Amino acid sequence: MPEPPVQDEQAVPLGQRLFDNVFLLLIAGIVIMAVIYTGWGLWEIMTLPPATLP
Amino acid sequence: MSATDFRTCPVTALKVHRPAEALVKVNAVVAVVSLLIGAIAAVLLVLTRWQAVHLLPAEWFYRILGVHGMSMLIFFIIFYEMAVLHFASTALINARIVAPKLGWAAFALMLGGATLVEVMMWTGKADVLFTSYVPLKADPLYYFGIILFAVGALLVCGIFFANLVVAKREKTYTGSLPLVVYGAVTAAIIAVITLLHGAAIYIPTFLWSLGLMEVDPQIYRMIWWALGHSSQQINVAAMVAIWYMLGALTIGAVVLNEKISRSAFVLYILFISMASAHHLLVDPGMGSAWKIVNTSYFMYMAVLASMIHGFTVPAGMELGQRLRGIGTGMFGWLRQAPWGDPGFSSLVFSVVVFGFVGGITGVTIGTEQINIIVHNTLRVPGHFHATVVSGTAMAFMGATYYLIPLVFQRKVAFWGLAKIQPYLFAGGMFIFVMAMTFAGTFGVPRRHWDISFSQAPFDVAFNPAVDVLLAFVALGGIIAATGAFIFVAIAVKSVFFGEPIGTLVPGVAVAGLPQGITNPPKHVADVDRRNEELHAPGRGFLGPAPGTMVLVFIFLAAFIVYFFVNWKVLSFVWKIG
Repeated sequence: MPEPPVQDEQAVPLGQRLFDNVFLLLIAGIVIMAVIYTGWGLWEIMTLPPATLP
Repeated sequence: MSATDFRTCPVTALKVHRPAEALVKVNAVVAVVSLLIGAIAAVLLVLTRWQAVHLLPAEWFYRILGVHGMSMLIFFIIFYEMAVLHFASTALINARIVAPKLGWAAFALMLGGATLVEVMMWTGKADVLFTSYVPLKADPLYYFGIILFAVGALLVCGIFFANLVVAKREKTYTGSLPLVVYGAVTAAIIAVITLLHGAAIYIPTFLWSLGLMEVDPQIYRMIWWALGHSSQQINVAAMVAIWYMLGALTIGAVVLNEKISRSAFVLYILFISMASAHHLLVDPGMGSAWKIVNTSYFMYMAVLASMIHGFTVPAGMELGQRLRGIGTGMFGWLRQAPWGDPGFSSLVFSVVVFGFVGGITGVTIGTEQINIIVHNTLRVPGHFHATVVSGTAMAFMGATYYLIPLVFQRKVAFWGLAKIQPYLFAGGMFIFVMAMTFAGTFGVPRRHWDISFSQAPFDVAFNPAVDVLLAFVALGGIIAATGAFIFVAIAVKSVFFGEPIGTLVPGVAVAGLPQGITNPPKHVADVDRRNEELHAPGRGFLGPAPGTMVLVFIFLAAFIVYFFVNWKVLSFVWKIG
């Protein structure tokens, strides 16, 4: 079987290289969730003023 | 590592690493056992919610509800996903598992954790339902079991990423990862996000159960749902990956556009986990801005991704059929598809019910304003049974009909039953989901033992139609559970007592083997000419996949009608004048 052609790293478009970077995607996924959902959510709860007793 | 560690698949010609294959097998087997436990629990539950039968006493109803949730939503689904991760990161890219012993340790942790949780639930030491909301307290061993399970699953994700790194270094594949593996990458990343949140909430809750610290109920709910809902988003990514795989295996579906499909997976990675906020839409502790940003602006990016996959998968199937000259007219490609192949029928039912029912109801009830008329009613489980069961479980069952010959190298047992099993399961689930959704529209609460309030000092009168709808919930549930039991019987018989696949003769049908294996779809000689014809500008705006385009317009029309009907119903809540 002939060897498959080696893809030139420089010829790969930037978007494809970003999409192929599994660990970049992993970090991006964790950071967005941690900031928008978890971090912001925690801040909302922690800064909630306690209700005054009647 | 030696050459004998690998075998070559006689159907796909892929190199299969035997140590990885063993882990695929054990994870898949435990997933099926979990499905069996969950399905038995399901029958007991529907026979209790059917008011005319009302089978279980209250205590056991809530206990079994917890068993059903954990066995199905966590153990069945995640064990199966671990099998998918081991399979996708080795067999699909001709690679090896880099740490098989760690894989077994992870499996042992998951199995031990799952067993501990089941024992705690069945013995009444964890009557806290699937959500285990604080301050409901279970035995500390329950939380410890979940932590063990989560650590094991996280280890498998680590092995998955390590496999990819080593495969790239050893050049077992060139260029980008195949699309199906890319879907598995998406599932693994969402799994990491999910499991990190699981650790962040279950470790403190474990310590709280030992009396060592306090846990704020609102913080618990917020972080727990980043586990509880996001774990179902792992399913979505794994399911879509399986859609692409089954489409290619069964009828030679093509990928319409790699960039589009991969972009959709990336949208999942970035935005889908935020759907967890849907569960907190009526919580007073969270502000409107947080709710709307999470469930609308960001989450809609993930909805867009699902709609992309919902188009590209069937369109790829249609184009694949047309490229091989199968079917004429608008839907000939679908009529002449192999409906007797359980892998194919499972795929179609999974796509259709997930999209048309699960997708439309999910986006609608996830809208902050509409959620107020939906929250804690049967419409919620109606929605997620359409996604997780009719969508994910159905896809996993379809994939199993191919995994049995390809991985276990056995024929599918009870072949006649296997052909009708997807129809039974999908049909039953469709009745179940629709009846549950309509019952929820009448305000019937979820997680409720007795809506007649027979021993309560007050009374709530529901529309009499509710009794009929709950009977249909039971009927659909029993039909679907029968489909699940048949699936379990087929899987167990095939794996442990099945007939070896033997020597395959291409084009010769064999009972027990899906046609995608005995007669794999192949491109015809003049595929390029056909492709040019199908993409000719003269074909009009419906393009090369007109049947799918028509289905898309039907989907969008149904979406619009359902969405606006819900706004109209919401308007009845506040009557002015």
